[in-house]
Amino acid sequence: MAVAALVAWVVTALGGFVMLARWISHGGLRQQHVGPTRFPAGLVFGHFGLAAAGLVLWIAYLLADIDQLAWAAFVVLLPVALLGFAMFARWTGARRRGAVGVAAGGTGAAAGAEPAEQALPVPVVVAHGVFAVTTVVLVLLAALSA
Amino acid sequence: MDPRSDLGKHPVSAVLAGPYGHPFHPILVTVPIGAWVAGLVFDVASHVVASPTFLTAGSTWLIGIGIAGAVAAALVGFLDLLAIPSGTVAFRTGLVHMGLNLGVTAAYAVGFFWRRQIDLAGPVPIGPLLLSVAGLAVLGLSGSLGGRLAYRYGVRVVDEATQASGFTAPADAGSAQRASRAQ
Repeated sequence: MAVAALVAWVVTALGGFVMLARWISHGGLRQQHVGPTRFPAGLVFGHFGLAAAGLVLWIAYLLADIDQLAWAAFVVLLPVALLGFAMFARWTGARRRGAVGVAAGGTGAAAGAEPAEQALPVPVVVAHGVFAVTTVVLVLLAALSA
Repeated sequence: MDPRSDLGKHPVSAVLAGPYGHPFHPILVTVPIGAWVAGLVFDVASHVVASPTFLTAGSTWLIGIGIAGAVAAALVGFLDLLAIPSGTVAFRTGLVHMGLNLGVTAAYAVGFFWRRQIDLAGPVPIGPLLLSVAGLAVLGLSGSLGGRLAYRYGVRVVDEATQASGFTAPADAGSAQRASRAQ
């Protein structure tokens, strides 16, 4: 169970890395003050930093087999999930507005000012969410049975 | 200043990757390097002392500490990789540096669970010992690529005008730094 959680966690992280790389390369950071992105850098990196800290805790739990570490990792995952949901809500909202813009005859100039998160591949977003939920469930089950 | 190389100098997140001119990745890598070098010293020493239990067990702990530290260093290092423009020599060097280090960390993870099977009363067997030697060798190679990224390509290093402010007389340093910032 604990190893399955690690695998799910790492797969989730890989999806996160892909999305972070695309968000930054499409100007997510440059758009912070004047651009159209709806992802504040604090939200993105808060999610990343807490998830990273939780992953290190989970690996420490696997290596040292100290039960409290499993619970610590689970507690860290809760705000990670909240921040992730916040980004998902903002992402779906932006996509809906983007679709409306195209339907209303969005021009090339409007496309050039797209929020960086529009570049996130839909399958990666969906897989990231599915594996993230799986990770949280597996971590909770592993902590309960620790 | 070439704006492409200037991109690799700024953090994508100052909180997580360290502020401009003070990256966190170089200090974090000292944890796995130190732990794994000490682990190999323990491995060799376990063949020398009369009662090696503490060295054999301690070496496994050091490898575990190194793995946790390596994951932390990797996550911060990944952020520095994202600061480098893709499609450049520096970015490709960073990818190789990352790939080798992830391979080394995976090898140490195998070594950790391998060592859980061994008899703690005796010295570290030759198999896991050689795995650690190989891991450190690749780590050295990968570390040299990290050195190239910092010292040759200047990734996460401040611009040269700011560096020059360190070579003025102390009384002038403050004004030189202000001047370089104003540029």
